[in-house]
Amino acid sequence: MPSKDKVLEEVIHTENIDIDAVLDPAEPDGVFRDSRECAALALQAGGTQLLLSPPTPRPKKG
Amino acid sequence: MEQSSTSALLQGTVLDLASDVVSALRSGDHVRAGSTLTGGGAGEGVARAAVRVLGADALLPSVLLRVPPDPGQLAVFKDAVAAHPPRDDAAPAVVWSHWAMARTLRRVEHPLTGPDAAEPAAEPGAAWLDEAGWQTLTHQLAVLAPLALPGEECAVTRAARRRPVDVARGFVRAVRRRDWQQAAGAGRWLTLLDGVPDTLGLAAGLDFVRLMGGSDPRVALQLEAARLMPAAVLL
Amino acid sequence: MSVAGVGEAALDWVWAHRDGFALGDDALAADGQVNRTWKPLGELTRVCASVSLCTPPTDALHARASDLLDFAWQQTHRGELFGLMQSLEPFATYPLEVYAAFASAGFRHPGYEASAAVVARTRGWRLTEQYPTRRLGVLEAERHSGIQPHAPVPQALEGTWLGGLPEPWTFERSAGYALTHVVFHLTDWGRAPRGVPSGLADYLLHWLPPWLDTCLDARMWDLSCELLAVAASLPRPPEPSVLDDAWRRLATAQDSSGAVPEEGSAQDAAGPDAGPDPYAFTDCYHSTLMAVFAASLTTARPRHADRAEHAEHTEHADDAAQHAGQGAPG
Repeated sequence: MPSKDKVLEEVIHTENIDIDAVLDPAEPDGVFRDSRECAALALQAGGTQLLLSPPTPRPKKG
Repeated sequence: MEQSSTSALLQGTVLDLASDVVSALRSGDHVRAGSTLTGGGAGEGVARAAVRVLGADALLPSVLLRVPPDPGQLAVFKDAVAAHPPRDDAAPAVVWSHWAMARTLRRVEHPLTGPDAAEPAAEPGAAWLDEAGWQTLTHQLAVLAPLALPGEECAVTRAARRRPVDVARGFVRAVRRRDWQQAAGAGRWLTLLDGVPDTLGLAAGLDFVRLMGGSDPRVALQLEAARLMPAAVLL
Repeated sequence: MSVAGVGEAALDWVWAHRDGFALGDDALAADGQVNRTWKPLGELTRVCASVSLCTPPTDALHARASDLLDFAWQQTHRGELFGLMQSLEPFATYPLEVYAAFASAGFRHPGYEASAAVVARTRGWRLTEQYPTRRLGVLEAERHSGIQPHAPVPQALEGTWLGGLPEPWTFERSAGYALTHVVFHLTDWGRAPRGVPSGLADYLLHWLPPWLDTCLDARMWDLSCELLAVAASLPRPPEPSVLDDAWRRLATAQDSSGAVPEEGSAQDAAGPDAGPDPYAFTDCYHSTLMAVFAASLTTARPRHADRAEHAEHTEHADDAAQHAGQGAPG
């Protein structure tokens, strides 16, 4: 019973796997993503709205 | 058996092999234990094909660090050169990568007399590089990064030396595209070229490529080669 | 499509859509959107000022640009609105920046200039916190408006991304827009290539090609146009193969209406059969103006080939032609 590797070996042997494509690969597509803008922390946004409002009071335990 | 899983196994073996080379370059010696080629992990045909894909860099530790190759590794390398000759209609990069392997084999086998002692196949032409725009030039040079060696003298290295700014532009482009393999290969070339603009910031650029893409052993291999390049003398 | 053809078609679109640049009531309203009122009008003026300056009076583009300048000046009530804006927002810099575009085209309002000068004398005006690139623009606006610039240009340049000659692979969109505007300000919008210091010009000649290539690849048409305008504003242009390739790729993005979309996402949203006017005004007015700007500077170049700064660099021309690239400064 041939092992998986043996079978693969046969494939490579018999078809002489086309490694030309691997040897001279086409360029992958470029990946472009730019930094996002994040306004400075605690900087007022819009004109009326408050950023970073004070923490919500937690209910007291007990 | 599907072709896709065959090539997946091949790619996996190439990565393992590249990791071995990276370890050897970092440690200054061969990694004998757990070596991809001699450990019997992959079948012979796959290992041979993987060596052909990695090309002359499979023996880079021997060439750059001047340590004799492991006999088992050398045997597979020889087999790979013999089993995967370029077809008549092969692309220039395929022809050249095979030529580079044959040349490395001669270097390693005849370290005293040098490669000229047994110069076999005539050097292929590099006109395709001279005619290429800077984008294609850099892509092709990155594919042929195994030829980027200190003191290497061939038509490809001469073409690269004529266009340092173009290769530097290609490096910028590759980083912008997040093509870390191309960036690392171009970076390796740039360490060898005179006339690279200082404003490129190559040292920081190579660190950046390592940060972003260094987990790929093929990228790490190029960066290790670039690190060793300035100090290395060709075998 | 030739560079001139891209520019003509783009200016046709601008002419046909000039009402989009008109100032509405919200131009003066406290809650009005400046970026949708004064900014487009100022950009229209900037570009038309440049076109009218770098085309001969016999050129059809020249006449159209002049007509658009008249149109834009009318929108400001022949400059009266600048004084009104100042009474409403005395410390805002944008009215002066927009006004400077008119002033550079010869449209001036002495009363506004006098009152702007009063505010510009304050420490508060000098210390307005803005991006360094923008500060450079304010300096240029002051100069054009008869106001003593509040700081030296080299000092302002130092604080910009481009002025520090950063590693070119750190370029991204925001750095790109910052650097194009630095060059626009230094060269008075393409009029004075000598305003670019030689070290900066070398740097730009080296790295414009990969920036252009990747912006085009990412379908960032607006920034690509700005980079092409920068390329046409340098003391010595990049090698022709770089420009030919970039213009060819840019032309593929231009709609038959002449509109150039800002980015590929606008093209995706419009789809393949989008009809005769596929893009919303806000999605294409700026990039279309920048296409006009870049094309007019690029086509003007040969006509100005005898300029002194060009002649002294002719010994490099052979180097540039040697390869399909490598047009590097010596």
